Amino acid sequence: MTPTISCTDLEVTLPGASGAVNILAGVNLSVAKAEFVSILGTSGSGKTTLLRVLGGLLPATGGEVRCDGTPIQGPPDGVVTVFQDYAHSLLPWRTVRRNVALGIEARLGRAERDERVDEALTMVGLLERADEYPWRLSGGMQQRVQIARALATRPRVLLMDEPFGALDAMTKASLQDQLQQVQSLTETTIVFVTHDVEEAVYLSDRLVVLNGSPADIGLTLDIPLPRPRHQISTKERADYLELRHRVYEALGHTVGEPARG
Amino acid sequence: MKAKKERGGTPIRGLLPLVALLVIWELVGDPASPYFPPPSTWIDGIQPLIDADKLLPAIGQTSLTFVLGLAIATALGAIVGTLVGASRSVDRALSPSLEFLRALPAASLVPVAALVLGYTTQMKLVVVVLPATWPILLTCRTARRTLSPVLLDTPRTLGLSTWHRTTKILTPALTPAVLLGVRVAAPLALIITLLVEIVTRVNGLGAALGAAQAGFLSAQVYGLLTIAGILGFAVNWIVTRAETSVSRRMRGTV
Repeated sequence: MTPTISCTDLEVTLPGASGAVNILAGVNLSVAKAEFVSILGTSGSGKTTLLRVLGGLLPATGGEVRCDGTPIQGPPDGVVTVFQDYAHSLLPWRTVRRNVALGIEARLGRAERDERVDEALTMVGLLERADEYPWRLSGGMQQRVQIARALATRPRVLLMDEPFGALDAMTKASLQDQLQQVQSLTETTIVFVTHDVEEAVYLSDRLVVLNGSPADIGLTLDIPLPRPRHQISTKERADYLELRHRVYEALGHTVGEPARG
Repeated sequence: MKAKKERGGTPIRGLLPLVALLVIWELVGDPASPYFPPPSTWIDGIQPLIDADKLLPAIGQTSLTFVLGLAIATALGAIVGTLVGASRSVDRALSPSLEFLRALPAASLVPVAALVLGYTTQMKLVVVVLPATWPILLTCRTARRTLSPVLLDTPRTLGLSTWHRTTKILTPALTPAVLLGVRVAAPLALIITLLVEIVTRVNGLGAALGAAQAGFLSAQVYGLLTIAGILGFAVNWIVTRAETSVSRRMRGTV
């Protein structure tokens, strides 16, 4: 089976203040259909760069990126990125409904567009706020609007760049559960960037840890926890704790020693 | 509620000192004075222009030059400002020339423009457009430069065409900055319009003002000055109101 989205020998060099900086080197990743893969790493490790390359927002310097077997140039159809900075991603001059319609309004007729927008807003539980402006909503709700906007395009792959990074712990937990539901409903492939170990273990089918400079994939870990997962019971399981332990170790933490970096 | 009251109240209350001054002038002024004729004589002063059917065309010509000049300056400033702000290398290549042109006093353009285009409306337009473009170009350049990268990535990841990216994202996002520039450029454009008309006497309110001054028709000069003042006040009021209301909508703040 061809993977939905993959990269082989990926290399990315970006211009920096003091010459070119090699961010990623020799990254191999392939994500299967309906799989939930998290990319973990300390800040500055190149997680976001990797996601931007997969989303076609940044060209690779070397190696190959494919989506459904086709090499990508620019953002491929059906691959949508959800950004951490929801405040700048939503258009303040459009209502929630019209923000969600942004990706589909040029391609679909009025009736189908409205239907898809309603469907996407229902999935994130914001249908009754459809006619408000996004800046009147809380941070968590704004991020749900951005997710709904991506879902309205019925994406094959959803790339999420620390989507819950700017939210408080309780909002984060409820959005994580909502995202699980959405994925089981739509069978969307999700690549999820985060620096939160618990979040990555809780949500993923598989997680990869980026380390080094230039970064490559240091650890790949399957997460065989049963689904649906639950914020309390899943996080109390011995195998959850064991997986969490291994990820922390891969990130450079050692038991009995204070965290470094 | 408070803001609404302030907006409605300020122009009227703020005009009171001016009204008081005019009343005092009317009461103590000498109708025969060659320098300071009282306000009641001003209407008689411009009456000959109305009778000769010259006043309305003059206002029309001035307004046309002003509106057209400002419109061209807005389009030019917005487009060039966006392009310059979008690319560091273009910015670096053009900025010194732009800075030089910006520092060029508008009035000094009159002789050159008159030399090339003669005493025509086109000449007036050229002289008005150049200085009025700068404030719009500069605010637009800064706004484009500081636009959030996420806002530019959003339409790309959603697969919007270049045309839709421009019309649905870039244009609304930069409109407040363009209007801020227009707000600064509008009074400037009106001043330059009148200045060119006074200097070259091509046509318009400024030409009438210049002619009245040359003919020692002091009451007419004051009458025309009042009309020019009202025109300027109206322009300023409209542009400010438009800028505030559109900015509020586009920036999403109450």
